[in-house]
Amino acid sequence: MSGDEVNPAAVPQPVEDVQGDGRWMSQHTRFVQECKDAEPDVLFVGDSMVQLMQQFEVWRELFSPLHALNFGIGGDTTCNVLWRLQNGELENIRPKVVVLWVGTNNYEHTAQQVAGGILAIAQLLTTCLPKAKIVVLGLLPRGERPNPLREKNAAVNGFLRSWLPRLGQAQLLDVSGEFVHSDGTIIQQDMFDFLHLTSTGYRSMAKPLCDLLLQILEETPEERRASLV
Amino acid sequence: MSAEEPNPAATPTPCEDIQGDGRWMSLHNRFVSDSKDKEPDVLFVGDSLVQLMHQFGIWRQLFSPLHALNFGVGGDATQHVLWRLSNGELDNISPKVVVLWVGTNNHGHTPEQICGGIMAIVQVIKNKLPHARTVVLSILPRGKQPNPLRERNAMVNKLVQEAVLSLPHASFLNVDPGFVHSNGSISHQDMYDYLHLTPQGYQAVCDPLHAHLKSMLDKPAEN
Repeated sequence: MSGDEVNPAAVPQPVEDVQGDGRWMSQHTRFVQECKDAEPDVLFVGDSMVQLMQQFEVWRELFSPLHALNFGIGGDTTCNVLWRLQNGELENIRPKVVVLWVGTNNYEHTAQQVAGGILAIAQLLTTCLPKAKIVVLGLLPRGERPNPLREKNAAVNGFLRSWLPRLGQAQLLDVSGEFVHSDGTIIQQDMFDFLHLTSTGYRSMAKPLCDLLLQILEETPEERRASLV
Repeated sequence: MSAEEPNPAATPTPCEDIQGDGRWMSLHNRFVSDSKDKEPDVLFVGDSLVQLMHQFGIWRQLFSPLHALNFGVGGDATQHVLWRLSNGELDNISPKVVVLWVGTNNHGHTPEQICGGIMAIVQVIKNKLPHARTVVLSILPRGKQPNPLRERNAMVNKLVQEAVLSLPHASFLNVDPGFVHSNGSISHQDMYDYLHLTPQGYQAVCDPLHAHLKSMLDKPAEN
């Protein structure tokens, strides 16, 4: 993965306001503002897979109690997440764990480049938050039947499986096994458009994630905090 | 508003599989197959605002009891919905009411073109389902602050509202409960990304919509 060429998936890039309503920047600005006030123990960062989770009951039941913040933006690639994290979304917060879920929207990049982009984000996180643990969620399969994007996402996970252990604080959590049936199909009950998770789909991947987070949070010593009042 | 040039928003167009996983066509095929098996009284058709409605408790709470089907596809513009309805999704079903909610994704089209696209869909529904009534929902404002897309969507609403006045089988329903605050902003509590509705946002839109649909279903259609 090291080379002389720059990995395009690891180049920070904001989203251009093509549509004309500035929504991406509005969301980023809101997250930067949230960093000023909140003291999250867990930070979720990524694309629509992260963002949509907050709209379902599972978020309130499993992750709000962990003092989690959600910095997901639909459509984001590794480049966009990298830019956001370098431009204010990590200021003033000291989460104990960061959950990173991004890569499925990197259509222009190869599996290796995507994995490199995810690794670059993990490296940035360990630099800015030296005490934080990083949980990288594996990319989920997509599409109703087997197709090239399933192979690509699986390949990304394969690279991450090899590379992430080199960053002591990062680990891969692969929940993709839940979703493909023996006949190769993904059902709408799990992914309503064969990409985005339903409430049921979220429940099945949230359980192992929550268990892992609880385990990590239990292992992490409490830091002294300045009193709030 | 007939013009010499074809209206791209009113030209049936399937979505190209650029990403490579065929999801749009998978969804369309699902809907075609649903229309063979199911007998809905109400059919919802449109983009992600329709599709996402199906994912939250509100659907089961308000619309399942009305025997509703959901044919929403995220990202769809009027020309995509037009293609879907012209290619099987209306075959074999006879809902009493079709709820149409589309137009916000018609980027690059003028309000006149978008209105033309919506009216083309209304016509296809009339052709395929002569006894159904169509309710066209207003397109919601979007973006955190005032911006050109809010103006565009408001203009579409105005044009559509006028255009359906002369149609006995179609009506326009404004479903914006007042998402824009006095300072011009939309809250992320209502639209988590200033476009898509939260469950709270859906509740505000769907309660009056549900009441309206109930009153339509209770009243027999005029012949």
